[in-house]
Amino acid sequence: MKSVSEKLQRNLFIATFIVPTLVFFFIFTIYPVMQALYYSMFDWSGMSDTKDFIGFDNFTNMFKDPIVLRAIGNDYLLVAGKIVGIMVLATFFAVALTRFNFKLAGFFRSIFFIPNVISVVVIGVLWNFIYNPQIGFLNAFLSLFTEEKVTIAWLGFTSHTIYMLLPPAIWAGIGFYMILLIAAIQNIPESYYEAAQLEGASQWKQFRNITVPLIWEQMKVSIINIMMTTLNGSFVIVWIMTEGGPDNSTHVMGSYLYQMAFRQYHFGYAAAIGVLILVLSLITTVILQRLLRHESVELS
Amino acid sequence: MVLNKKWAALCLAAVMMIVLLGACGSNSNSNNGGATEAPSTNATEDPSTNATEEPSTGSSETKLTGDFEIQYFVGGYGDKWWKKVIADFAAANPELNIKESAGPKINEQNKPRWIGGNPPDFVYIDGPNLNDRQMVEDGQLEDLTDWLKDANNIDGDKILDALAQQPQQYDGKIYNIPLVLNSWGIFWDKALFKEKGYAEPTDFQSFLEVSEKIKADGITPYIHTGKYPYYINGSILYPAIVSNNNDDYTILQDMAANKIEAYQSPAVLAALNQIAEMRDKGLIDKAAIQINHTDSQMMFLQHKDAFISNGLWLPNEMAKDVPEGFDFGFIPSLTQKPGGKVVANTSTATVAIAKNAKNKEAAKAFLQFVFSKAQASQWAELSGAPSNIKGDISSSNAPSFVKDAAKYLTDPNTVVIPTITFNADVDTEMQNATDALTIGKITPDEWVKRVTDVVAKVK
Repeated sequence: MKSVSEKLQRNLFIATFIVPTLVFFFIFTIYPVMQALYYSMFDWSGMSDTKDFIGFDNFTNMFKDPIVLRAIGNDYLLVAGKIVGIMVLATFFAVALTRFNFKLAGFFRSIFFIPNVISVVVIGVLWNFIYNPQIGFLNAFLSLFTEEKVTIAWLGFTSHTIYMLLPPAIWAGIGFYMILLIAAIQNIPESYYEAAQLEGASQWKQFRNITVPLIWEQMKVSIINIMMTTLNGSFVIVWIMTEGGPDNSTHVMGSYLYQMAFRQYHFGYAAAIGVLILVLSLITTVILQRLLRHESVELS
Repeated sequence: MVLNKKWAALCLAAVMMIVLLGACGSNSNSNNGGATEAPSTNATEDPSTNATEEPSTGSSETKLTGDFEIQYFVGGYGDKWWKKVIADFAAANPELNIKESAGPKINEQNKPRWIGGNPPDFVYIDGPNLNDRQMVEDGQLEDLTDWLKDANNIDGDKILDALAQQPQQYDGKIYNIPLVLNSWGIFWDKALFKEKGYAEPTDFQSFLEVSEKIKADGITPYIHTGKYPYYINGSILYPAIVSNNNDDYTILQDMAANKIEAYQSPAVLAALNQIAEMRDKGLIDKAAIQINHTDSQMMFLQHKDAFISNGLWLPNEMAKDVPEGFDFGFIPSLTQKPGGKVVANTSTATVAIAKNAKNKEAAKAFLQFVFSKAQASQWAELSGAPSNIKGDISSSNAPSFVKDAAKYLTDPNTVVIPTITFNADVDTEMQNATDALTIGKITPDEWVKRVTDVVAKVK
């Protein structure tokens, strides 16, 4: 008798924590996703009080839309560029600030973290000024080395402007992952390195054989997190810096979704793009997780 | 101790549940509220307003009662005029309870109400996220065609006669009336031109000639706002199309009505070729493609560029940054042949009544109130832009460039293009294609091909 009531109590106790979370999860995550799925089946302007059911037409149109395909390409370009850029630099800084004891480490740690505190919007505006052809820092800097004033419109070429969005995105992202990796490195017992030192292992060997395997979990989380935040959030930097232009060349799925929903009044189509983002995020997460798991087995 | 723990757990559970139920409760309440409200207003209020409306329009002197809600976007023109005109209207109709939904974000804030069939009665269509053509296509606006035919303003004049520019027609029907009458065009600094001895251009030929001189002096002749290509379309492309079409602006109306032949007309190609010529002669600032309006305007004010595509709101918008001695010169179009007429492409903001309005009677009375002579100079004074109401504002306190603009727009030698709103997809494609044209990515023929493809799809 007593055990039953105790069990009930225990379940009740657990439920008080799980049920509210679950309910909020349903209201704020599952329900909107369902709504997006629902709206993606309609031809709806987003303003009208009537919608036309068109089944999967939005999806079939989507795959015929060259801008969608380009946006997907741009998204993955940003994902790949950011993963490589952020991981290399963040790891480098993390190792530099922990393994090579020097006085100003704390200072640099703060400096590198600052971009993370700044809003992405501000970063976008800031880099817009850097790239400004007439009054921008980049052209002014390059002009120091040339006879004629450099007037390159960095964000004005339809073929490569998307690459110009990588530096601000990487610059903005390093700080957080650096801190994450610093924390991981600091957890590695000093004795491992001492032993390696005694055995005559070089810094590179130590890094390769001690640091990387022991912080691999954090690196994995970082990579997956960069991928997900980029697929879902590169909208902001694109919208602030180029609004998808010139001539639709820098759209990512998020910005094209916004363009379609609120500038061209195709809300149903935009919802379909939203579904596409969700599906691609899920697939990529699964694939990436598999790839990285394989890697970690190899290493350990 | 055990008892305490038990109680603590139970209490915690109870609190959590209550919070949860509370959240759910309020949520479902508001949902239900939204759901029941919309149909009920539709069902009960519409017939009632219709019922009362019919007799009242016959006898023009009935007292307006009930609630009347006005939605207006607050942007570059501010809200001084709205506050004033609403106060005046309220004073004239003491029994009417006027509500204002206003602000720079009001278009987004009120969106759910438009979707839910419970919109404000009267709407000023300006700013982002509100497009008159889309609202008409969505059936959100009241058809005013019949009413406007013989509606008078409070002065006793016909409203249609009091308008400087007639409303846009959608398949022969009128849904919204232009309130603001602004114009796109090209600016330069008269002081700079005087100092350097440049001739102020009057047509495309003289523009090209003076531009070569300007270029030789190390100043870039022309800048536009590539991030928002509607600036160059509004002030160069559309006027050029009209000029090349023997000053007949109906071609733009045909384009807006998605007639493919209109886009394939030689006038369009000739206009595009003018832009291509500007590009090939190196007159267009290379920076233009990537910058927004503020940047392009700053560069113009700093004399990095001699000409800028913009609208008449520019002096007002940049008032704080205009250097001393800067003297705005303005012409609505530069693409006409020597001796040809100037073409002014108007930029307007319109007002309309919601189809699902609850107090259409008051909304119509407000239209009659707004489109009166007294408001012409009041709008010009308080908002710093010419209004679409005919009337002499020369004696008013309106800023001088507004008076100049009004002069241009009422000059018989100016071809004034009335309000035209393109389909949003076509408009976007035209903007992107023009951008691509200015950087040499496509030819004028490809521009036509790209845009007609979209028009065919939209149709």
